[in-house]
Amino acid sequence: MKNPRRSILQACALLGLIASAFAVKVGDPAPGFTAVDSNGKQQRLSDYKGKFVVLEWHNQGCPYTKKHYESGNMQRLQKEWTAKGVVWLTVISSAPGTQGFVTPSQENDYLKTMNAAPTAVLMDPGGSLGHLYAAKTTPHMFIVDPNGTLIYNGAIDDHPTSDQGDIAGSKNYVSTALQQATGGKPVTEAATRPYGCSVKYKD
Amino acid sequence: MVFTPRIRRTAWLLIVLASSVAGFPQTNAQHARVELLARQKSVAAGSGVQLGVYFILEKGWHIYWINPGDSGQPPSFKWHLPAGFTAGEIQWPRPERMQPSKALTDYGYHDEALLPLTVRVPPSISNRMPVEFGVEVKWLICREVCIPERAELRLSLPVAATASADPQHAPLFAKTMKLVPQPLPRAWKASVTSSKDRFALTIRAGKPITEAEFFPLDPGQIDNPAPQNLQPSHTGATLILKKSDQLLKPITRLRGVLVIPGSPAYRIEAPVRQPLQ
Repeated sequence: MKNPRRSILQACALLGLIASAFAVKVGDPAPGFTAVDSNGKQQRLSDYKGKFVVLEWHNQGCPYTKKHYESGNMQRLQKEWTAKGVVWLTVISSAPGTQGFVTPSQENDYLKTMNAAPTAVLMDPGGSLGHLYAAKTTPHMFIVDPNGTLIYNGAIDDHPTSDQGDIAGSKNYVSTALQQATGGKPVTEAATRPYGCSVKYKD
Repeated sequence: MVFTPRIRRTAWLLIVLASSVAGFPQTNAQHARVELLARQKSVAAGSGVQLGVYFILEKGWHIYWINPGDSGQPPSFKWHLPAGFTAGEIQWPRPERMQPSKALTDYGYHDEALLPLTVRVPPSISNRMPVEFGVEVKWLICREVCIPERAELRLSLPVAATASADPQHAPLFAKTMKLVPQPLPRAWKASVTSSKDRFALTIRAGKPITEAEFFPLDPGQIDNPAPQNLQPSHTGATLILKKSDQLLKPITRLRGVLVIPGSPAYRIEAPVRQPLQ
């Protein structure tokens, strides 16, 4: 039987453009979504109620994304935090024909080559999930807490450059926020300016 | 003038060589030519010399303003100057609005941009040797995709009793300085009222303002792609600016650039009145 609630959620995801008119503010409930991952599996935010969820906007051709993947920085974070029970969802909102657009099998090959370890990669070529969260850059990072509240929205770290050499001296906002939140403390820097390439939306 | 293919090839080779070796005033990078220029032909002790990094961009490509907006990165500069010389701040010309998608707005420059600054010259310098200026420039150039670039540029200027303008470059500096935001006229006043979701920037100019655009200097304060609603009054105008989702704490001042067609660009640094509790 068709689940009416899921249909509503899917409709909401499709109507992401309308939803983007609403604020995605730290402290507010994170917008629910349903999306298909690179293995063809449906992923719903609500499936992960009770867990911390990281959303990472991704474009494998973008120099700022490359900074964090070619250095192994992003994969290190993915492994460290998924090992601690955090759910890590990478999202690709590049439209077909734009930089960063990949087919599911190309993405799975990339994950293997890069030794990346997200929980899943959400394929969002229509951009509805990106617009729903008002994702601006690659990377752009969000953290949702176990109650479904958005607790972080912003950059991966405090060095808005594409130089790998800057990573060592950077303060990683995502790690800091996860350490604080998983330790039961409030997140001190909960909104920062995300930096990177623009998300290559269809519109 | 007609170039034979051979001369053209040689010229091209020289350009390629020039761009690969440090110590030249210009470089041919991907989709841009970048050049270190001086407004003056010579340097005089105890004065200032205006330098600038000049970007000539291939059609469709852009670089970014000091606040790049929703994406991108502004150019950065590391100056190498002789002892006693000090570099001032880059005087960023007013930017253009750019819209990579309907949900995103960036601030930057198309076609060409000179990013000028003033270097202070110490009161006594030797006039036996020319003065060597060097800069390491890093920039991001984008069209649909973005490319990070870097170059080392150098320029040497002779020392003279009085500095004279370089007729080749002075007009470009003069044109650029007209695009650099100025302080508001003395009689004008800017103030901001904060409410839940927006800032109201009121400009009192003693005359109506019917068209204006605000470019925020600090990131994460206003929602860049949101339309800026202008409400003209007989003494000026109020510009309604939607707050950014990233803004979680109250701000005490709003800084930016106000562009009114037909006027110079103005620097705004307005106190923010918080909403009544």
